[in-house]
Amino acid sequence: MMKYRRIGEMGAPGAKGARFEESARAVACTSDGFWYLAGDQEIHAFDSEGKQVGAWPTSLPAWSLAVDRGGRIWAGEQGQVEVFSPEGHLQDTWQNEKLFGFLTAIAVGERDIFVADARSRWIHRFDHNRGFVNHIGDHHRKGGFHIPNGVLDFAVDLDGTVVVANPGMHRVERYTPDGESLGYFGRFGQHDPESFPGCCNPTNLALGPGGQVVVSEKAGPRVKVYDPHGKLMAVVAAGDDFDLGCKNMDLAVDTEGVIGVVDPIERILVLYEPVDAPVATAGVTS
Amino acid sequence: MSKDDLSRRDVMGMAARGAALAGLGGVSTLLAVKAHGSDAWYIDTSKCVNSRLGALGVDTCLRCATECVLPLSAVRAVNEFADCGRCYICPAYFDIHSAIDADGLPSKKLCPRDAIERRPIGWIDPDDPANNFYEYLIDESLCDGCGLCVMDCKEPAGLGSIKLEVRHDTCLACNRCSISIACPDEAYELRPTV
Repeated sequence: MMKYRRIGEMGAPGAKGARFEESARAVACTSDGFWYLAGDQEIHAFDSEGKQVGAWPTSLPAWSLAVDRGGRIWAGEQGQVEVFSPEGHLQDTWQNEKLFGFLTAIAVGERDIFVADARSRWIHRFDHNRGFVNHIGDHHRKGGFHIPNGVLDFAVDLDGTVVVANPGMHRVERYTPDGESLGYFGRFGQHDPESFPGCCNPTNLALGPGGQVVVSEKAGPRVKVYDPHGKLMAVVAAGDDFDLGCKNMDLAVDTEGVIGVVDPIERILVLYEPVDAPVATAGVTS
Repeated sequence: MSKDDLSRRDVMGMAARGAALAGLGGVSTLLAVKAHGSDAWYIDTSKCVNSRLGALGVDTCLRCATECVLPLSAVRAVNEFADCGRCYICPAYFDIHSAIDADGLPSKKLCPRDAIERRPIGWIDPDDPANNFYEYLIDESLCDGCGLCVMDCKEPAGLGSIKLEVRHDTCLACNRCSISIACPDEAYELRPTV
């Protein structure tokens, strides 16, 4: 099993930046060490040292963040996506009355843009001309992914595979960009740490170097790392690391394998680094 | 006997009679209110430890089941279906800490009186039980309002769709409700019926 250690926090009061007043919800990071944290109705930017280097408002509360290869920040909101320059200047507002309900995850690739809509419980795929391509998850008997926790989260690996947290089924599922199922791992279990406990876990998901699958859970809050085949590699944080009320803790992983976890109760970003594991090829998604 | 003495006795007598009449009046008013059913006991779920958000890692309070003067408490657990997640693994139905059975489900139920029924909704996927919705129905003839399911349905474990309610067709509306006296959270309130 790998080991991780807590190396710091971003957005803590009185430190290197202002803490959000009411909520912290989403995180994304870049390949050059910048972290973005969304909360209240703002986005805060931090450098690799944890110093806050920017803050700007969003027109609606952002529930998801992604960074494209050009360094632009995409914020998923209710009914719309806002796109900002790395400095925080609004560059675009993308609205879609029919398909954009409540956007709790977003990924921007070379060819495709994927957004998770917690209202329809589907993932929508678009091209860069905003043309709708296909849904993912609409084949489920339940009409979509089962998310009693209210948040639908996913990530896209370097091959374009869409990896989705389906908490109501206690699974991590894989899909082609076209929506064809590539299988899943995971099962219910309260005691075996490799299983997913409670009514609905994992709630959130990100991909790390080498295709590692990083997940967060609620009741009790826990962060775990799996290899691409679903074998548990590490329990990153559990127990006293978070308030028992924490749920829907968004995640991002940088190229060095450092995991950023949104603590919605403390309204900060908590960072964990691997202690003794070699870090493989780079690949960042959130 | 002087005029003054008589006057003092009269005044004292009148005061005593007035006080007695006022007392009788108060009692009769209370009785009248009770007879008309205009006041009843309610549970403020935002105070009850079993449903209060943020009260986590604490034992379930069982007093609604144990303190009522009725053989079967007048309190019941009620599942608000609109708020229910219809989960495959419901922590209010299953004892999720029990051993896993051959079907991958917890082997024990949470409710000590087996008052909750789990029923698949609509068409059933026979190959993948996790790929179904389930509704959870509470049999009020069995439920004693112990609150175990309420505690385990509470956020963040569940969605908090199950709450405790006083059944007014059963409740005797005691003036000094024994549950309200025992309730550590002062969650019992005598309010006009709605």
